[in-house]
Amino acid sequence: MAETLSMQAAINTALDEILTADDRALVFGEDVGTLGGVFRVTDGLAAKHGSDRVFDTPLAESAIIGMSIGLAIHGFRPIPEIQFDGFAYPAMNQLITQLARMTYRSRGALPMPVTLRLPSFGGIRAPEHHGESLEAIFAHVPGLKVAVPSNPSDAYSLLKQCVADPDPVIFMEPKSRYWHKAEFGQPAEAAARIEAELPIGVSRVVRPGRHVTLVAWGAMVARCIQVAELAAEDGVDVEVLDLRWLKPLDVAGISASVGHTRRAVVVHEAPLSAGLGAEISALITENCFDSLRAPVQRVAGFDVAYPAGPLEDHYIPSVDRILAAVQRTLEYRRG
Amino acid sequence: MADITFTLPDLGEGLLDATVLEWLVAPGDFVERGAAMVEVETTKSTVELPSPRTGVIAALHVDEGGVAEVGSPLVSFAADDDQAGIVGTVPADEVPVRRVRLTIPED
Repeated sequence: MAETLSMQAAINTALDEILTADDRALVFGEDVGTLGGVFRVTDGLAAKHGSDRVFDTPLAESAIIGMSIGLAIHGFRPIPEIQFDGFAYPAMNQLITQLARMTYRSRGALPMPVTLRLPSFGGIRAPEHHGESLEAIFAHVPGLKVAVPSNPSDAYSLLKQCVADPDPVIFMEPKSRYWHKAEFGQPAEAAARIEAELPIGVSRVVRPGRHVTLVAWGAMVARCIQVAELAAEDGVDVEVLDLRWLKPLDVAGISASVGHTRRAVVVHEAPLSAGLGAEISALITENCFDSLRAPVQRVAGFDVAYPAGPLEDHYIPSVDRILAAVQRTLEYRRG
Repeated sequence: MADITFTLPDLGEGLLDATVLEWLVAPGDFVERGAAMVEVETTKSTVELPSPRTGVIAALHVDEGGVAEVGSPLVSFAADDDQAGIVGTVPADEVPVRRVRLTIPED
């Protein structure tokens, strides 16, 4: 029986190995040192690697990113954490006008190998500012890459890819999946396999199917797999595509999947309007227009501020909302 | 195992402390979030405080009859090391309940 590991432990393992392998790697943020992170992701790292390489910062997100830029200029490989997605807003100026542009501004002289670990999305009944979905904002910024793991082994491998990359990457960790345990092979093997088979910007079909493609990332991948299993009870064969990278988007992978299923539903937690579902829908239309048997459907959060815990289940796409969208693609007939 | 500790909140407008009258839970008890946990008396009133989370009580920090200051530790819950998130709740792995059924139309 294969070993299982939670995503939080998988990321901890990856950080531990990165810190061991590369003297230039530094891990810092609010409570990541002594406490080990509010999600235990950095548990034990300060004790093992020393408080000059894994350390606590003041509650100043702008400074966390500003410091990352300075460290990167001087040859370090910073892996900062902003404790919750909602607290990325105070850091936006440093992220967008400095970090994302420094390489461009210096005509490539100053690579920015900064990986921002950002616990993201909802599903844990957290208070306000602790459950945002900022992926569309980050993906819109030239110079930033955006990665979102959906499972422990991907979290491990993706994080290693992000840290090794010379560009800044926003690594959005789906909070609601931190504790879920899944099969996890030998870490080194998994990393080598991912590196060989899934370079940066490549998605993965996590469940093959014939009738419709569900495009998702983060925690919505597990939700879509549930939907696929329910749809199978009704004889509908659903393919689930885990994007893994939101910038760059895997246009070829999306087109290949929708090209053969001929129907697509994009699922995300973020609000609908101007969300990534719109971008992906447009890409599918541009690339698969002749194959499509129905307009691309979107199932998303609503255009409201992220709701309080008791209302969360009404906001996050439910299996029923996704199933209803699948049904719309099945029923559609050209007028 | 890690403990998650809750402090005494300000129960009124600028109250400084409260006297613990009676604990309704004991270390080792499993309590549901919102269940009655402790009865305390302030200079303004006697109130029953609900449990702030679901879990197993690890320690009570103030004896019955003792005075707890606002902001000082009141109660600790036991938490698995990998579930000791300070903000939010670990979601349960639930089998989803469906209402929508799919039908493949005749072509």
